[in-house]
Amino acid sequence: MKNSSATPTASYGRRAASYWFVDGLPEILFGLALVIMAALVFLWRTCVPQPWIRFDLVIVAVGFLLYYGMERRFLDFLKSHVTYPRTGYVQPPEESPWRVPTLTTLSLRPDLPAKENVTLFEGRTMVLVFWFCCPFMLTADPLGRWVVPVLVPSLAVALYVVSRRSERPYRWWSALILALAGLAFIRVDVPAPLQRPLPLLLAGGWLLAQGAYTMVHYLRTNPCPRAAEGVRA
Amino acid sequence: MTQRAQQIAQLDRVIHEPARLTIMLILEGVSEADFLYLQREGGFTQGNLSGHLAKLEEVGYVEIEKKFKGKVPLTVCRLTGKGEAAFAGYSQRMLGLLKSDGSAV
Repeated sequence: MKNSSATPTASYGRRAASYWFVDGLPEILFGLALVIMAALVFLWRTCVPQPWIRFDLVIVAVGFLLYYGMERRFLDFLKSHVTYPRTGYVQPPEESPWRVPTLTTLSLRPDLPAKENVTLFEGRTMVLVFWFCCPFMLTADPLGRWVVPVLVPSLAVALYVVSRRSERPYRWWSALILALAGLAFIRVDVPAPLQRPLPLLLAGGWLLAQGAYTMVHYLRTNPCPRAAEGVRA
Repeated sequence: MTQRAQQIAQLDRVIHEPARLTIMLILEGVSEADFLYLQREGGFTQGNLSGHLAKLEEVGYVEIEKKFKGKVPLTVCRLTGKGEAAFAGYSQRMLGLLKSDGSAV
């Protein structure tokens, strides 16, 4: 074995649980989905002379449902081409909230068992974005020009707080950037068709940027895909 | 032979080897992992890992399966029920030994 003194001290289970986020693909895909949804809402409101307001919500709700149903398939496909050939494949233990963790940890001061897995990205990020960005679409003009400056910083704080102890915490400065992006619209007069999809657009852009940053770092540190599958003795 | 010496002698020697213990520790925390992941996490060479996996498979602690993720072939390894039980037993014995000796904590 090679010298592994520089290996981080987190347990193997926890490292496996955070491995899902190592390449930034979950953020990139979800960010892209949000940007597409925002674009569709914007197009709907620009192209249709008298748009039915609730249809915004229909577009976003259907978008979220489609994303929820197809996320794993897309991610598995992308990861099988980008991540698994570079750094391998691992499936963390599935977690059900009612299941008692059965992991044995060989330590007298055991690390916490791996509590997180891939599904928690949906719970901590997707659900929050949905609940922050969608309800205001039900009403015609709830907060007027204050929608973005109120909603986006609140979303940033919620994302930071909810995920700060997870395997994929958002950095405080990253959440601050999202909050400031929202606050910047206090002074900017946003055109009416863009007002409703703007929180989705900002959240999507933020996730895309974050995912892209992670991916660039990942590709730099793991440049060469393996030539051939490992051979067993 | 003292009781402690007996307990030490009862440790599962297949698992007790450092490289195999590392493999068991990694696999114990996950549902399944492929060859490359194990190799990188454990800091093994390819031949070294192959040899130890073969040994673990031989005693029935690990099962190895060739499968595809998309169109990419993967050699996936996971602990068997027997492997989980053996590792739990090993952990308990080892923890018992370390706890009963305060200097080891």
